[in-house]
Amino acid sequence: MHRDHQRPERREFLRNLAAAATATLALPGPRRRADAPAAHPAATADAIIVLWMAGGMAAPDNLDPKKYKPFEKGLAVADVISTFPAIPTAVDGVQVCQGLEGIASVLDRGTLIRSHVQPDLGSILHSRHQYHWHTGYVPPQTVACPHIGAWMARVLGPRNPTMPPFITIGQRLEGIGENEEIKAFTTAGFFGSEFGPMNLPFPEEAALAVRPPKGMEPGRFADRYKHFKKLVAANPAREFTSDYHQESLLRSLENAHRLLGAKERDAFDITLEPKEVLEQYDTGRFGRGCLLARRLVENGARYVEVTTEYIPFVHWDTHERGHETVDRMHGEIDRPIATLIRDLEARGLLDRTLVVIASEFSRDMITEGRPGSKATDQAKSPKDFLLEPAHYGQHRHFTGGSTVALFGGGVKKGFVHGRTADERPCLAIEDPVTVTDLHATLFTAMGMSPKTVFDIEGRPFYATEDGKGQPVDAIFTG
Amino acid sequence: MFADSPWPKALRGVVLPAACALGLAAPPAALAVDFSHDVVPVLRVHCGTCHAGSQRQGGFSINDRESILAGGDSGTAGVVPGDAAGSELIRRIVSTDPEIRMPAEGAAIPAEAIEILRRWVDGKAPWEDGFSFEGTTYEAPLALRVVELPPPHGDRTHPIDQIVDAYRAAKGIPTPPRCDDSTFIRRASLDLVGLLPTPEAVARFTADPTPDKRRRLVRSLLDDDLARAEHWMTFWNDLLRNDYSGTGFITGGRKQITGWLHRALVDNMSYDRFVRELVSPSDAARGFIDGIVWRGEVNASQTVPIQFAQNVGQTFLGINLKCASCHDSFIDRWKLQQTYELAAVMAPEPLDLFRCEKATGARAEPGWPFPELGQIDGSKPPAERLAQLATLLTDPGNGWVSRNLVNRIWARLMGRGLVHPVDALRAPPWSADLLDWLAGDLVGHGWDTKHLLETICTSEAYGAATPAVDGQPQGGEYVFRGPLPRRLTAEQFTDAVWQLTGAAPGKPDAVVERVKPDPAAPPAAPPAARWIWSNPTASSPPTERRTVRARFTLPAKADHAVAVATADNEVTMWINGQTVGRSADWGKPFAEAVTPHLRVGDNEVLVVAANAAAAGPAALRAEIRVRCGDGSTVALASGDSWEWTATLPDANGLWAHGAPPTDWQQASVIDAQGTWASADTAFTAGLAGTAGPQPMVRAVLVKCTPLQAALGRPNRDQVVTSRPTDLTTLEAIQLANEQALFDTFARGAAQCRAAGGDDPDTLACHLFNAALARLPTETELATAREMLGDVPTDQTVADLLWAVVMLPEFQFVR
Repeated sequence: MHRDHQRPERREFLRNLAAAATATLALPGPRRRADAPAAHPAATADAIIVLWMAGGMAAPDNLDPKKYKPFEKGLAVADVISTFPAIPTAVDGVQVCQGLEGIASVLDRGTLIRSHVQPDLGSILHSRHQYHWHTGYVPPQTVACPHIGAWMARVLGPRNPTMPPFITIGQRLEGIGENEEIKAFTTAGFFGSEFGPMNLPFPEEAALAVRPPKGMEPGRFADRYKHFKKLVAANPAREFTSDYHQESLLRSLENAHRLLGAKERDAFDITLEPKEVLEQYDTGRFGRGCLLARRLVENGARYVEVTTEYIPFVHWDTHERGHETVDRMHGEIDRPIATLIRDLEARGLLDRTLVVIASEFSRDMITEGRPGSKATDQAKSPKDFLLEPAHYGQHRHFTGGSTVALFGGGVKKGFVHGRTADERPCLAIEDPVTVTDLHATLFTAMGMSPKTVFDIEGRPFYATEDGKGQPVDAIFTG
Repeated sequence: MFADSPWPKALRGVVLPAACALGLAAPPAALAVDFSHDVVPVLRVHCGTCHAGSQRQGGFSINDRESILAGGDSGTAGVVPGDAAGSELIRRIVSTDPEIRMPAEGAAIPAEAIEILRRWVDGKAPWEDGFSFEGTTYEAPLALRVVELPPPHGDRTHPIDQIVDAYRAAKGIPTPPRCDDSTFIRRASLDLVGLLPTPEAVARFTADPTPDKRRRLVRSLLDDDLARAEHWMTFWNDLLRNDYSGTGFITGGRKQITGWLHRALVDNMSYDRFVRELVSPSDAARGFIDGIVWRGEVNASQTVPIQFAQNVGQTFLGINLKCASCHDSFIDRWKLQQTYELAAVMAPEPLDLFRCEKATGARAEPGWPFPELGQIDGSKPPAERLAQLATLLTDPGNGWVSRNLVNRIWARLMGRGLVHPVDALRAPPWSADLLDWLAGDLVGHGWDTKHLLETICTSEAYGAATPAVDGQPQGGEYVFRGPLPRRLTAEQFTDAVWQLTGAAPGKPDAVVERVKPDPAAPPAAPPAARWIWSNPTASSPPTERRTVRARFTLPAKADHAVAVATADNEVTMWINGQTVGRSADWGKPFAEAVTPHLRVGDNEVLVVAANAAAAGPAALRAEIRVRCGDGSTVALASGDSWEWTATLPDANGLWAHGAPPTDWQQASVIDAQGTWASADTAFTAGLAGTAGPQPMVRAVLVKCTPLQAALGRPNRDQVVTSRPTDLTTLEAIQLANEQALFDTFARGAAQCRAAGGDDPDTLACHLFNAALARLPTETELATAREMLGDVPTDQTVADLLWAVVMLPEFQFVR
């Protein structure tokens, strides 16, 4: 048998473990550049919810209606841009597409950026544009780029030390097409997994992620951890292990068990909502995800993303039957988004919570990429005359102009920034906003300088590409 | 609501004048000059020759901000931040007076470059933290130096110890004690083969009184070729960016080198040949230099040839060409031109040179960074140029490749490189002598990597106790005090858990030859299994499902067992309540290694077979072959000794209320066996394919699981040279509640009880020994007893297993 050693200072350390768990120690991962020009702007939002319309939400069929013609056999494609008629909104003179009545009714709480543009990458691969949108850098890159949620987790930290700061909802990372490409940006990259996303593919099962495993009742779970701590206290090898590493490991386990045993874990359980609230949100996985996002933000999450889920050729990724599919998508997203906005407002959270609706690009019936792009056409529907209903819809990827909606978090109410052309090609013709500038806008709202810079492999790596992102100041109430 | 920001008050509300002034008019875009990308190149090109590094003509140096502000001998300030017009530097470069104008010789600085400097000064002349034009003064010679060993201290005659002891003596550091034997065997096993030592091996080793037992242990570990290869495959997969799934595969833009790499490591291919075969590759090894191609256009710093230059530089030379892929490196001496020249070696045409995504109009011819040793012949086709590069890299006069390998392996084994960080081989090593001695020894022994591992691990420097380090590693000059504790990699952790629980998967995802086929071995016997159903005509209504069972007895513990089964149209098999395989295509039988599911004595096989929705015959064929530890074999083949029932178990193979049906009937051998003859070959191959005893499938050979990813196994989109050193909260949540891990412990409890017995003390001792290579202390034993209870159950054993595996002592190599 080994002899017991009990250095008193060690016992002290272990007794203070719970206290140490909250103490701030140096964070792992790359070093922040000390004199980086990162004086942070004053935050107008404490939390952000990104509602991700994965697969390319067509602006003309959603938030930026253009000339509309219903389907008829032989319809000339050139005569139609939108496949849904426009409807009025709560903001005078601003219209959105039929099917988005709920969003229309809360538009007076937010801003539309109708001039978001993406780069032409020569060929459309959704996951590549999504990587760009989520990290600010077009892949491939020489280093693993952090997701913007990881930037916020790293720089702003958690709002509530018990809650993971960065949570993604609704995207499976296994068993779907392009999953490896999606994984490549659903990560904290070089920041390390401490700042990575907690990924919850199924909102209704989110509670399981913070519960003891199936087959283990809570009492046993707590007991197991209690005994573990006794074993740590009795461990004879501890003095040969670096205190720093040991403490870091024990602190992480302590944090985990704290969340797994804390009231905050109820935030993950949407079944605790009153039935009528759940029903109001529940149009499907996305709707339930919006409800989960609200609960998480209420309990201190920093960055939450809810996606309609990217699966090649499914949901917003309409390569045929676009009109029919988008009609269904409207039904899935409209009510929960409107409910989320009103709900946050009713709880007094909207002022400090920025809600963003965005997508990797827009779509069009004719143009792939943008005029002059070398991108190969990936759709089969005719570009001249429509012969059957399956041809009616936005089947080509368009990078020249899309719409981003922002609510709360210090943005203007009932405001529209930028404009796309009324006729094809519907390019952003006023105040184009790049991904870099959009990110600068989101970071700025959250109180983080777009020039925030870290040192990775000796290279300065900025929150927005080369630190050049400029926030769209015009959309803030100021 | 919670405190809304962790930022100190003083920082909050501070508004950046340039970019972030909310509500104010946007600043003119002209102000946005970036120091690193815009200013540094201008200063370097136009001022550097006379005013950077050791050059300070006229007393003026641009090395750092202080110097540039101070100005030169004239006494006038060089730069007045915020006032370009009033700054001497600007005045001199815009002057038309040849007596005053800078540069003193040659053409004037172009107007746009002047504009950049003017804007930079007007913008208060910001500087990059730590940046200096001075650069590092250290530069290792290209060739390895011949190192004369200092005299030994007493009997410490290992060359590493001679150097380290002299180093310690010079620094006044006492010689650390040896680590104890159980620590050593665990450390060496995890370091060399990536596995926990078995309790038997620990007992043998600690009881061994001979003085050279450590040396012999190291040798025997290294001689386990497969285990050594599969442990170091993690290291090389990271460095060579090899994986079995990941970005790029979807569009065919990426190739594996798995089979080549595994073979090279098993065979301990000499390192010079290893490098040559990767740089000038056959098809099997081409995946490394071909990089990852994403569909569409990529930025100029990520084309395949540039990826090649970056990866060759980083992986084999320890030099960072990533910065120098966009512009001349600001942190190193590498130039954009050099990166492009190296890239051009593999490119079919000379490359157009892009600086920060803008074409410069210049072109790069093939070349490499050390022309002293010879140059690439640009007139030859790419394949020949690659062969030339491979030869130059492994030229005996090139010390970088051997130093780089030595440094990376030293870092793996000791917790920190001789040069740190490992990707900056130009930084000064803490012992240049040790680095060059080891590199020279490697080359002198035919670039034998196994020899290098053996050399390091037989030194007293390696076998010392880890120094107690209080607090976070600090800055300042690094001093070598001994090997540092290192966190288990995701693969080591997973393998260790699989060792303790027997939960390793039956088959690897990586396509590798783990067991060399034995040409002398007799061919496997043909299948004995017959196609059976509930009637001899195989007639069956659509979607009919039948449960079939068979029982067999094992006289001794199974050494190796395989199950093969197929059915027209679907089959699922359980053995002793554990799912072993499924097939939904009668032409493709499943074949699984089932050894962990078997037990001595009675075993039960349960099969649910289903007919398809369309009308057609139904049939099942299954065979299990077992070789036992006592040399006996047991075979079980579907036939009329099998029984069927129409009652179905649940999806986990369990009966409702735990009560099996009682209406079992004898199965019928189907008359027309030839109906499914086209599946015979696959069935026979299934029985033969897993015929050899397979060593445990290692974590490195399976696709990345969510748990492995959480524990730090990287997406290998880029070359990876280090793993995270700390467990994070999200990982800890997974360790605490991940279902697959929990289930692994639950199932593993049975194996622990089988090995450790039912007495709580014996069981606890077994578990500590297996996991930590030591017995528990009295206090630990008391806690273990509390956990296990008087009569240990699967549940209490699983919990103790979890608690031991979570200990820092377990999660670190120390």
